[in-house]
Amino acid sequence: MEEFVYESVYLRRDDFEEGRVLFETWDPNTQYAWDAGVAIGRYLQELKAGRLIGRSCPECNRVLVPPRMFCESCFCPTDAWVPVKDTGTVLTFSRCYVTWDMIQLDEPQLPAVIELDGASPGMGIMHMLGQVDPDALEIGMRVQAVWKPSEERAGSITDIAYFRPLDSSKD
Amino acid sequence: MSLLHRIQHAGDALNCHGDMPTRGRYTMGIAGEKFFRAIKEDAQLQATICLDCDITYMPPRLYCEQCFAELDEWVDVEPLGHVHTFTVVHQDLDEKPLPEPLVIAFVTLDDTDGGLIHYLGEVEPEDIYLGMPVQAVFKPEDEREGSITDIECFRPV
Repeated sequence: MEEFVYESVYLRRDDFEEGRVLFETWDPNTQYAWDAGVAIGRYLQELKAGRLIGRSCPECNRVLVPPRMFCESCFCPTDAWVPVKDTGTVLTFSRCYVTWDMIQLDEPQLPAVIELDGASPGMGIMHMLGQVDPDALEIGMRVQAVWKPSEERAGSITDIAYFRPLDSSKD
Repeated sequence: MSLLHRIQHAGDALNCHGDMPTRGRYTMGIAGEKFFRAIKEDAQLQATICLDCDITYMPPRLYCEQCFAELDEWVDVEPLGHVHTFTVVHQDLDEKPLPEPLVIAFVTLDDTDGGLIHYLGEVEPEDIYLGMPVQAVFKPEDEREGSITDIECFRPV
């Protein structure tokens, strides 16, 4: 049987802008509403108030942060809100010299997972480190949240501006 | 996204609203490009023909759906056809009432084995019947942009 193979047609932006190719454009409506749920809803409200909270599991007694309404280890409902501190320990970190949309940075962003004091071991939240020499970062470093002023807080994880090294003299 | 959302009131905490900016661009393809160029530049409908299978494809295809042969036989098609089926539409996509009902029809084009889905115009919905002869109304040349909406509508002959 005879074969008919068309070569691929590579299109560039110019081909669209200068009318060399016909096309339809459409913008689908992709608005959505996401239900934060009971646990994250309360978590966000507490952040606005400048507090961090978790949930405790009655079976394994772990304190889960961010809070959730069931324990993923025991498959049972968590039963109490537990305040946790805004100090913690760096579990892991990265020096990022590129933004999410691939813009090169001279000064690195420093995302880290921070185990909060009062939460169970391994319970970390993802945040940024600041006021720190990127080369001086190390796992196990003690850090503390730097909160935005209360009038700027909006009920978001960014109500914490970043975590900075804890002054060891006050630790 | 969820954790980055800002809430203004405690009651808003449970809902995070967002938008995913999405833009689609759909190119016409090789056959579609030729089809819509002819509409844009000459207000001319064109079809492809498979001589072996005796099928006239409207809108034109690049390959015969029956025998898979490449189709390079193009013919001009008169902008005349018949209403194969139609729907009177009273609501938009968001279920809001339309100021005037729209009539959407599948119009078979004469001397082809296919047809086009398009608006029926210049006719009252109650006067439309299956098999009604219609003709394509093209926009003026300076308003045509190589799209199916270069045809304004089909109206009764």
